[in-house]
Amino acid sequence: MIRRHFLSGLGIAGAAGSRLPAADGCGCALAPQAAMSGPVGAAALHSVGTKVRITGVKVFGVSLTPDSDRPYVFVKIETNQGVVGWGEATLEGKAGAVIACVDDFKEFLTGADPMLVEHHWQSMYVHSFYRAGPVMGSAMSGIDQALWDIRGKLLGMPVYKLLGGPSDPAGVRGYYHVRAGTPEALQKLRDQAKSLGVTCVKTGIPLYYEWIETNTKINRAVKHMQMMRENLGPDIDIGVDFHAKTSPSVAAILIKEVEPLNLLFVEEPCPPENVKAMARIARRSTTPIATGERAVAHFSCRELIELGVIDILQCDINHVGGITALWKAGAIAEASGISMAPHACEGPIGGLATVHVDAATPNFLVQEICSGIEPETKEKVWEEWLGFPAMRMVKGKFPLPTKPGLGFDLTEDALKRYPFGGTRPMARVFHDDGSVAEW
Amino acid sequence: MRRARLHAGIALQAQAAGNDPLEIRKIRAFPLREPGSGRRYTLVKIETRGGLAGWGECGEFTRAEFAAARDAVVGTMASAYEIAWRKLGQARAIRAAVNMAQLDVLGKLSKAPVYQVLGGPTRFKARAIARLEGPAALDRAQTAGYKAFLVPAVPTEWRNQGKAYMNRIRNLMNMMRNAAGADSDFVLDAAGAFTPGDAQSVAAELESFHMLWFDEPCGVLNLGAIRKIAGENVTPLGFGRTVGDAQGFQNLLSEDAVDLLRPDLAVHGISQIRRIAAIAEVYYVAVAPYHNGGPVATAAALHLAASLPNFFIQQVPLPGAQSDIDMRRAIAGDAIEKVTGGFLALPTGPGFGITVNEQALTRYQEAA
Repeated sequence: MIRRHFLSGLGIAGAAGSRLPAADGCGCALAPQAAMSGPVGAAALHSVGTKVRITGVKVFGVSLTPDSDRPYVFVKIETNQGVVGWGEATLEGKAGAVIACVDDFKEFLTGADPMLVEHHWQSMYVHSFYRAGPVMGSAMSGIDQALWDIRGKLLGMPVYKLLGGPSDPAGVRGYYHVRAGTPEALQKLRDQAKSLGVTCVKTGIPLYYEWIETNTKINRAVKHMQMMRENLGPDIDIGVDFHAKTSPSVAAILIKEVEPLNLLFVEEPCPPENVKAMARIARRSTTPIATGERAVAHFSCRELIELGVIDILQCDINHVGGITALWKAGAIAEASGISMAPHACEGPIGGLATVHVDAATPNFLVQEICSGIEPETKEKVWEEWLGFPAMRMVKGKFPLPTKPGLGFDLTEDALKRYPFGGTRPMARVFHDDGSVAEW
Repeated sequence: MRRARLHAGIALQAQAAGNDPLEIRKIRAFPLREPGSGRRYTLVKIETRGGLAGWGECGEFTRAEFAAARDAVVGTMASAYEIAWRKLGQARAIRAAVNMAQLDVLGKLSKAPVYQVLGGPTRFKARAIARLEGPAALDRAQTAGYKAFLVPAVPTEWRNQGKAYMNRIRNLMNMMRNAAGADSDFVLDAAGAFTPGDAQSVAAELESFHMLWFDEPCGVLNLGAIRKIAGENVTPLGFGRTVGDAQGFQNLLSEDAVDLLRPDLAVHGISQIRRIAAIAEVYYVAVAPYHNGGPVATAAALHLAASLPNFFIQQVPLPGAQSDIDMRRAIAGDAIEKVTGGFLALPTGPGFGITVNEQALTRYQEAA
């Protein structure tokens, strides 16, 4: 078995020794490193590692249309054993910065053992000194997913088995987005969902909201949510994404008004930086609160959980720090009885990686995909790349890939038809008076 | 059409379920007793359809719990260790062993050490601490290679102590350090038996002794007392051997009441301690699993230690009687509990990297 050959026995010691302080260094970090007698970095672990070595870290910007405002960022890690891993580092609106950040991490990884995924995660995060942030979080996410893809391939198992799954061999429960906006269209969608076994959908609220809102706008938002429940019926779970368009004051009113609808959750009722502000909203209603898509690293989930803000945590595998950090966030949430409903609004690699984590998450609730109940252009492209309809549900569940690693094959050639069109700003919206609005 | 393509692209799990080599076919239990110390632990073996065997360890459990565990896991995939954990709610005393055994199988199937299944090693050796048991324990522990020692607190005649006891404890610790050398480290283990007042007084008395930590200074559910000790003293506090759920550790952490988590290996197994460690990580707190069982759990602990970024030290039982030492070696080999320069080496073979000697087990088995 090839696997046995390179997974047992000692690896080759990497670059040993230490670096001299740079002329422009502050001296605070390099002094202790210079004092280390043995090998540094991943090479220090050669006695318990493998012989596999990372030979290349490639990063691809992929724009489905030349003017795409959210090009995908894919990471490919190559090894001296011919095994490659793919991950996704897509960060909406900041593709160029993430691509540059993945490049910044090349030196951490090249020549190192790809099996040391927790080590690499810690080293990238801790040794960056300036911790977290969405650019670094997304770059680390792409690298982490690619390393888990390699790990599964080398160990001969799909990642969800390494993580302790599956909870259900048929797959993980998912939800699509509601694109319909009239009672008739919603009733049609309800029938479609029922026939496909889809048990959950998500919608948004119309318009943009000022700090304090008028009776007219509040009623319109409430009516929108009521229309959803009335026409989708009681049997479909409904999540409503406020997308942080609302202030805590406005959100609290809306959420209170829709308590009788028994929504599955209201998502991001205000922006995420101020956890106490969101806690205030949560305290004032029985409607479950979901948030977390903008969280970077499991550290950022502590306060949300400690302050009793959330019922549902929604970390995004492409931003939070990949499989490693999503798994940890889920573990922390579980201890407090909080459910996981990971965000997924980017490309198919992150989507599939999330499904692996979901399948081994005891407190998993439901998995997002930013797609309608009818497949769209992007799903055709995903199928063209991966050879199967990735992130399309069967009987209301996303099927589990069964091949080792993340469970798909992708070639660089397949991506060439969609060259990187550069970073584009995302939507910019403004209130009537010209002031900046949340969207 | 779409469905046909789907089936081609993603092989359905149903196919695998029928003849999955990971399917658990059999589970067996071996209750053991050390002849000298009387320490009891139970080894659990699971066997899969593919012919792989995995070993785990826990404390004592009842027949009813064993039957519940058998019903819950036989016929399921050995990989589904997180799922099995929740199904074993009616068999809590055995689930740590099942969890270890499942991971042992996964490692063996992938021909890699268990820490490779879990995310790879974060270190190449694991710091060790011996709990001093029996006569001449410090000498024996030093000879065995340890540099850190867990000292049981001197038993007391009365509930509340005065100056004489504080002197006694301080003299004991000073004597230990003088005997062991300046580079040795100590933990005082009160086993939760001190009154809150005594725990505070002892912590204050030993603040400048710089123990690694003060273990279980008082009852763990006495949060008010713990907060007071933690507030008055900078001596790190370790808690957790009696905590049965991750939520208990989360509460200690969110109360700022603990410096080191000590989940019991025999209660939490590997994956539950990994979950507890993830919580601890976001409070910048480390984990040092409690261990008062046998060598299979030591092996499991080493893989766990390798996988955790916030592992600090592993407690290892060091029996006083030669017969017990012989028993531990007979079960799992000489290497697994060998300490050099204060550290345990990480196993590098597949699974836990030990071979359990089933014949030796019969010698030490407790009558059912």
